[in-house]
Amino acid sequence: MSFDVESVRRRLPGRRVEYFEILDTTMREAAELAAAGAAAGTVVIAGEQTAGQGRHGRTWHSEAGSGLYLSLVLPAASPPAVTLALGLAAAEAIARVTDLECDLRWPNDLLLNERKAAGILVQVESGVLIAGIGVNVNHTAFPEELTGSATSLRREAGRPFSREELAAELCEAVDRYLRMLRAAGKEKIFALFTQRSSYARGRAVTVDRPEGALRGVTAGLDGDGFLKVRTPDGREHLIIAGGVRAVGA
Amino acid sequence: MTIDEIRELVHLVTDTGIAELELQRGENRVRIRRSASAQHTEVMVPSDAPPAVHAPPAPASPEIRMPAVPAPTEVAPEETKTVLIKSPIVGTFYEGPSPGAPPFVRIGETVQPGKVLCIIESMKLMNEIEAEVAGVVTSKLVQNGQPVEYGEALFAITPL
Repeated sequence: MSFDVESVRRRLPGRRVEYFEILDTTMREAAELAAAGAAAGTVVIAGEQTAGQGRHGRTWHSEAGSGLYLSLVLPAASPPAVTLALGLAAAEAIARVTDLECDLRWPNDLLLNERKAAGILVQVESGVLIAGIGVNVNHTAFPEELTGSATSLRREAGRPFSREELAAELCEAVDRYLRMLRAAGKEKIFALFTQRSSYARGRAVTVDRPEGALRGVTAGLDGDGFLKVRTPDGREHLIIAGGVRAVGA
Repeated sequence: MTIDEIRELVHLVTDTGIAELELQRGENRVRIRRSASAQHTEVMVPSDAPPAVHAPPAPASPEIRMPAVPAPTEVAPEETKTVLIKSPIVGTFYEGPSPGAPPFVRIGETVQPGKVLCIIESMKLMNEIEAEVAGVVTSKLVQNGQPVEYGEALFAITPL
């Protein structure tokens, strides 16, 4: 399905919106635009990605015409609290467009019925923050290796949605949450995340780590937004990267 | 810090001609100083090393554009200088862009300013750490996949 970039530009006056039918990855394009002086708020959208990026070398399944694949050049913000703020923003944008309420898996995976509907990645290159947001919007099916772990907004709601409307809502929601982070501080973001995420507290999880998997129960966020996990021996571990999964998932 | 790691640091100092190297990792702090006249190397492990501080991953100000690399610290006085590249954030150290990929840099490699040396991941925020000086990478001080603290030394570079 074609993407009406003009409708996004009309919704976001004053913002640079770049659209490509096909890109290797929106992250690289946005980084190059930022390096060439593109202002904060600049957004790069692709109809399809041939090398969509996930966390540390993983790929993001980026089917043509079904998903929303965008990267945003962010204004200066306090990392890593910004990554939690982005998850909250994406959840709010999805709720506005679809009425679907996503769960947040720390730090910022968006889940519907325990399956991933959207993912967020942030890169800092030469001091500039770039957020990549991938949303499975209108996928009707996924490759076999993803069927147990991925879903789309369409599959959950039973109807398709406008990717253009979602793109505009996402950009506006990110602006709102970054303003909130600046005005009210990271504690406000952490409190909202803790309210919204079933993973913040009391959830049995396993955490993939280079030194071996950790199994325990989540025990809230620490003062920097890192996830606390209590193991059966009573010790508390701080999770700083990612790789958190519900036990049995 | 293990004896092997200290031995590696001693070799780093003797091999590169650095006058003095001080390194803190967690609760361990080591200072290695070359004697100006002799070839022997002194290793000091202070007994009063301060406990590891879980420093905040971000600057205190909520509105600071984070530098890709903090100001390099010169540990050696006068002629022989080594620049330590430190982590600006609490996170996980990755030596390459993806598991199994070649590392961004190898020991002995000459790098130019802006060359990406590693990635520190914190909450899915991938922070590329760049060289700020031209020089030779003389040591990698963290293992791939290991957690690092704020301000922890990642690489030693001898400027050209």
